[in-house]
Amino acid sequence: MTVYTLYIFDRNGTCLYYTEWNRKKQPGMSKDEEFKLMYGMIHSIKSFVHRIAPTDLRDGFSNFRTSRYKLNFYETPSGMKFIMTTDLTVGNIRDILHQIYSNIFVEYVVRNPQCELGQPITSELFQTKLDEFIRGLSIFPTRIS
Amino acid sequence: MADEVILEYLHMEIISQFYRSCEKSDQDQCIAKLESLGFRIGQSLVERFTKESPRFKDELDTMKFICKDFWNYVYKKQIDNLRTNHQGVYVLQDNKFRFLTQMSNGKQFMEAAPKFLALPCGMIRGALSNLGVNCVVTAEVSAMPACKFQIQIQRA
Repeated sequence: MTVYTLYIFDRNGTCLYYTEWNRKKQPGMSKDEEFKLMYGMIHSIKSFVHRIAPTDLRDGFSNFRTSRYKLNFYETPSGMKFIMTTDLTVGNIRDILHQIYSNIFVEYVVRNPQCELGQPITSELFQTKLDEFIRGLSIFPTRIS
Repeated sequence: MADEVILEYLHMEIISQFYRSCEKSDQDQCIAKLESLGFRIGQSLVERFTKESPRFKDELDTMKFICKDFWNYVYKKQIDNLRTNHQGVYVLQDNKFRFLTQMSNGKQFMEAAPKFLALPCGMIRGALSNLGVNCVVTAEVSAMPACKFQIQIQRA
């Protein structure tokens, strides 16, 4: 059970936050390009899923999996997108992403007078709290492999 | 207003509005303006909060009111530590000040902290002045979210 990386985007596509815990392979492009690629791809997948749906959707796009990793996606009503890559053993972590949003993002970024909306997050308090939360999750590995 | 965050957001926006509308050379003016805003708010607040209570026996009693009841009404907690030198100087210490808890847990954003303390200082000054005590209030922050308010009583 491993968490690899986490991205947070706002509704305009700006990457507000990126962090990695166990990333073993770098994509070979600059961070900016990677964020643009990620945002564009997620946007396309989301709208594709919506259009091709043969039945009514409940939540829309929520995750995709390859043979090695799983990418989980959660979008809030305000357009904030939380994208977390994990390994394959995790189940549905929509709740966890929702908790990250309501207990950590809203608390320490929205309520922080120094953090402007639409700007990358610089608050160390947010980083600390997020790190604590993720490390305390049951899906995070307890030993470093 | 039922939810406490409304006060916080309003406060944050007032401060950024003030700073946006004044020029670079007028930064200190902003702190003074925020303080006088707080003064007026404190005066009216204290009228309302002490409607039912009897007159205060002495200065120390007034200070205790500020630390306990007034702080409770406004910030939903009490002051953690009150010190005095019995010569007219009181130091109120709040270890988890409401407006600073979400900002940082130590040293980050330290330069911005005084802006957020100007209004509370003014509120204390206004509250005390309406209770008959003239004073000067300053605040200092060494490690967020703890902060100290220093009250110096002016004797005529």
